[in-house]
Amino acid sequence: MSTMLDQLKEILVSKLKVTAEQVVPEATHEELELDSLAVVELSLVLEQELGIKISDDELLEAPTIGDMVALMDERSAKV
Amino acid sequence: MAGIDVAVTGLGLVTPGGIGVGPSWAAVCGGRSPAAVDPALEENPVRISCRVPDFRPDELLGARRAHRLDRFVQFALVAAREAIADAGLDPKTWDGARVGVVLGCADGGPGTVEEQHHVLRHSGATRVSPLLLPMQLPNMLAGQTAMEFGATGPNLVVATACASGATAIGTARDLLTLDRCDVVLAGGSEAMITPLVMAGFAQMGALSKREDDPALASRPFDADRDGFVAGEGAGVLVLERVADARARGARVRGRIVGYGASADAHHMTSPHPEGTGVEDALRSALADAGAGTGDVGHVNAHGTSTPLNDLAEARVLKRVLTSDPLVTSTKGVTGHLLGAAGAVEAAFSVLAMEQSLVPPTANLGTLDSRMEIKVADAPTVLRTDLTLSNSCGFGGQNVVLAIAAA
Repeated sequence: MSTMLDQLKEILVSKLKVTAEQVVPEATHEELELDSLAVVELSLVLEQELGIKISDDELLEAPTIGDMVALMDERSAKV
Repeated sequence: MAGIDVAVTGLGLVTPGGIGVGPSWAAVCGGRSPAAVDPALEENPVRISCRVPDFRPDELLGARRAHRLDRFVQFALVAAREAIADAGLDPKTWDGARVGVVLGCADGGPGTVEEQHHVLRHSGATRVSPLLLPMQLPNMLAGQTAMEFGATGPNLVVATACASGATAIGTARDLLTLDRCDVVLAGGSEAMITPLVMAGFAQMGALSKREDDPALASRPFDADRDGFVAGEGAGVLVLERVADARARGARVRGRIVGYGASADAHHMTSPHPEGTGVEDALRSALADAGAGTGDVGHVNAHGTSTPLNDLAEARVLKRVLTSDPLVTSTKGVTGHLLGAAGAVEAAFSVLAMEQSLVPPTANLGTLDSRMEIKVADAPTVLRTDLTLSNSCGFGGQNVVLAIAAA
């Protein structure tokens, strides 16, 4: 089974066209060039593809990929 | 205040003839149209289009960048990059505050709008992409070009339907005359071949229905023409004051010496039958250039292949120009690039003078007997110092550019 990081990475690469090598736990929004528009896009795709509801505001408050993965873990446990 | 001579120092093209000036020019000189039945228009009443071949935005612009751009902006960035390199300019070192961008389009990004409208109808409003507006707004054409190349001078998009690309070049010339900037990236871009837009054109009766032989569908000035073929693409010209261009040792490829603009004030889609608006624009362009009606050697006509446009335009050319210039419409090959047409055809006009070669009007079998003009039906060697490039838009907007040899 793939980890939550793998799933997030797959979405960022296939849907938002982020370069795969950039998606590491310590990477920040700025490093991935995830601006407010991209974060809304990510929020929509997470719900659509994985059924995980995280608002764009919450994603923006997660400083790194690792923090986003933690949020995803937390939310998916409640699904 | 008369305009000053403005140098064309760089050309960039993305057309149905190919990606780049070389392939595009070779295609129009070859006289064969790539128009074909378009699988994306399967359910449309008219399915012919003229697409840019093998356009791969991920490879040309990078997947991340391309993902956030509508096709009409992607075309423009690729054309602008070629034009800037051709001009020998380097965005890393130029004074961006003195670089303007003036681009035209008829419609913005209808492909993105239609895609997201589908999402709205099928998945609901909360699924609509946050990129919908930043991708489809017409002004993004100039905004994204500024971002790509660090051009922070005057920045605008003009809309005069199918004259937009020519309006952009005329407006850019005015900015240079007024010393608002030193360099302008001027041109037009369009990506309107979508099911909804093409259904609209078909319902107007504007499109050629020659589906049995799409390559012969766009036939400007031909007696059997029955409408236009929609194309897509972009043309970008680097413009500078001639003195500045020469001072930096740039190659001057041609000069924009006159700009005339007018409105028919007649009908929302039909041209004035006597072409009075086109005539006004043409005379203004000649006056602006300080040229006479006998000085024109070549005309790159608007020549859309619609029954009404071509006849009205031919009448004006016969009535006004005393030099019996060699007329061509490159739309026979490219189809009608709509808001990009005026810019692409201005580039072809520059190339025609540079190479002393007028491209043919593809598919011209029998000239409409009511037209008393000389139309190139084959590539023709011609030396001339003055060419006119005509553009007309729905809404009755007319633009004529007077373009001189270097």
